[in-house]
Amino acid sequence: MVETFHLSKLYSRGVYALRDLSFKVDKGEFVFLTGPSGAGKTTLLRLLLREILPSEGEIIVAGRNLARMSANQVQTYRRSVGFVFQDFKLIPRMTVLENVAFVPRVLGAPVATQRRKTFQVLKWVGLQHRINAYPFELSGGEQQRIAIARALVNDPMLILADEPTGNLDPDLSLEIMNLFREINARGTSVIVATHDRELIRRVGRRAVTLDHGSVVEIDEHAAVDARA
Amino acid sequence: MQGLKYFVREAMISLWRGRRAALLSVATIAAAVFVLGGFLLMGANLDRLVARWSAAAEFSVYWRDEATRAQQDAVDRILAGSGVVAGREPVSKEGALQRFKRDFPALAVAAGSLERNPLPASVEVRLRPGADPDAVSQLAAQIAKVQGVADVRYDRQWIERVLSVVVLARGLGILLAAVLIVAACLTVANVVRLALFARLDEVRIMALVGAPMSYIRGPFVVEGILQGGLGTAMAVILLYVGFLAARARYGDAMASLGGGGTFVFLPIGLTALLVLGGLALGCVGGMVAARGARGVAAES
Repeated sequence: MVETFHLSKLYSRGVYALRDLSFKVDKGEFVFLTGPSGAGKTTLLRLLLREILPSEGEIIVAGRNLARMSANQVQTYRRSVGFVFQDFKLIPRMTVLENVAFVPRVLGAPVATQRRKTFQVLKWVGLQHRINAYPFELSGGEQQRIAIARALVNDPMLILADEPTGNLDPDLSLEIMNLFREINARGTSVIVATHDRELIRRVGRRAVTLDHGSVVEIDEHAAVDARA
Repeated sequence: MQGLKYFVREAMISLWRGRRAALLSVATIAAAVFVLGGFLLMGANLDRLVARWSAAAEFSVYWRDEATRAQQDAVDRILAGSGVVAGREPVSKEGALQRFKRDFPALAVAAGSLERNPLPASVEVRLRPGADPDAVSQLAAQIAKVQGVADVRYDRQWIERVLSVVVLARGLGILLAAVLIVAACLTVANVVRLALFARLDEVRIMALVGAPMSYIRGPFVVEGILQGGLGTAMAVILLYVGFLAARARYGDAMASLGGGGTFVFLPIGLTALLVLGGLALGCVGGMVAARGARGVAAES
């Protein structure tokens, strides 16, 4: 699903955020990216979202080289990727329903499809009863579930999550991770960046540890534990 | 269609949220269109007036008292052979005095007390409609050279001077309107850009979910168009109210000056063009600002 070859990202001030990174995520796999702050986790996710371009190396997602895409191809590519951020990035002036329906709406889906998909994912994340609430009326966990619903509403092949539990307490964090596990169980590839080692241990999936932009450890045991 | 509904809805929400800034932008467009429309309206009415004056333009040949019959016949032959004269009417010295007394009754007694009639005999020449002004000017110059002719007065000369003043005024008006239009365009662009910054998060999310660029930019362009439309509508309404007020106040004077005609409003085609221009102005401003959305999307 995702493969990087000698990937480097050099920021303008001469600092490498990623250096010679090669790794692979299989189709339908759930992978954690972990490491200390500044390890390069967010940069890698931004590269995978095609927010930024690599300085060197290649990044292939579902057979497409992200560095060689036109602006239109980038937009098409992003429709197949869902993203979840630590700070949720919900639109405050929109209700829960509007926030989730925003994606199919801006992608030009017919109204009936927008409604059907939105209700489906809201039911799936267990928030179908809060459709008329505004983000500020929701708890952090609920807001993140809405953000996950928004990421899912377009049936993505890949979900990218950057510290999705960074603002949540441990119980809520596990609840959110269980949602990601369920998403993954449906066949969607999931890449979650987190520095929470305990959470990784409890979820039990392959963890790629980055430090100073390079892979320093790949913990296959977690994945083995999970399958056990 | 669904996309258009979305653009309009989002643009209207944005306009309402930024209504103070939007009001400034609408007022600037209204001012620009009002000035342009005002000059066009004034120009159109002056054109009509001048056209009526031109159609009714005459020239008069004034005789010296000692002019002979032969000299008068010579002028008659020149006029008859010119091809631009529709008719001519001789006015004797006595006839001129009677007319003076009739037109200026307050001076009638003074005129009657003069020992000799100072007014010259003349020939009033009516020109054919559409007579070539150059040919008429040449004719006037030719007649002025005939012995016994004291003076030749040709209305069209001063009409042309009025016309050149009208053209100059219109040019200055268009220049002023052009400056205001550029200012309005920049104001729209900046107001829409403010709306863009207010919705930066939305724009980024739209870019991240892969929304087409037209979908991201559409609401901002429509917002500019709405501002243009509102500003132009305001300008046209003000222009019409101003026109009605001017007609009520100066209509009679205009009618007496212009031989019965009065003020007319801009033709419907020109008004429509003005409205379209205002919408286009808003659209350009919106598009300039929406280019910023592309930048945001590119960063996302």
